Amino acid sequence: MQDIELELADRLVRIFENVLFTEEKSIQQGYFSNLSIAEMHTLDAIGPYDARTMTETAASLGITTGTLTVSIDRLVKKGYVVRNRDEKDRRIVRISLTREGKLACRMHGKYHKVLARHILEPYDDKEQRMLLDMVEEVDLYLQQQAARYDGSESIRKTAKEVADRKRRRNNDDG
Amino acid sequence: MDDTADPRERNMNEEDIMKKKDMIFEDILKLLIAELDVSPTDIRPDMTIAEDLKFDSLQLYEFVIDLEEAYDIRLPDDLLDNVSTISDVVDLVYSLSIEPKD
Repeated sequence: MQDIELELADRLVRIFENVLFTEEKSIQQGYFSNLSIAEMHTLDAIGPYDARTMTETAASLGITTGTLTVSIDRLVKKGYVVRNRDEKDRRIVRISLTREGKLACRMHGKYHKVLARHILEPYDDKEQRMLLDMVEEVDLYLQQQAARYDGSESIRKTAKEVADRKRRRNNDDG
Repeated sequence: MDDTADPRERNMNEEDIMKKKDMIFEDILKLLIAELDVSPTDIRPDMTIAEDLKFDSLQLYEFVIDLEEAYDIRLPDDLLDNVSTISDVVDLVYSLSIEPKD
């Protein structure tokens, strides 16, 4: 039992680090290398279709609107996001993706989809459903754990630190 | 049996649908010519996007975003998964473009 626990603990950490690492690499080596992983997730939260408010977008990213403003300023400068006044209520500012932003968002979505497709590929429909159910349980448990902390910003920061540490370790080894 | 004006109306509708689909095909042709630097005569409706046109993912999404903007439609990945040939794209764009907007 002890061995299984240790192995699961080890694999969970490794999966987490490698998803983060390959995701970052896929951005750095792709067409949109001037975007950071956090910026890519911001584009993802805005989405390719809708003009969203700052409040909605900040909430779905689990960050404050102040932090989002800084990030959006950079994305506007880089040409991925535009700010427009709401047509009905001029007091509201809406953010949406430019053509480049939409392209980046959709290309990045493809990365996640291909990853999932490869993981699911060896299994039949029933097994895929089972795998998904189990992953869902893990996800729900971790969400509960995450909810015990203040907002997700600190968690994202920790995640980044773990990934950075791992990368430094790999660099030292290589 | 009540079939008031049925055959003629149906023919008329079918003709309209064909016309609309031809227009979509023409638009797609224009986009492909601009994107791939090919002659219009090189492109046939039965050509596949991945193998015959050799689109990479970036070119595919550029094409998709152009279509979304031109027809004010949404072409998310799960719909694109069922698309293989240019003719499939025409049918998909047609069916989405006649759907009522919110």
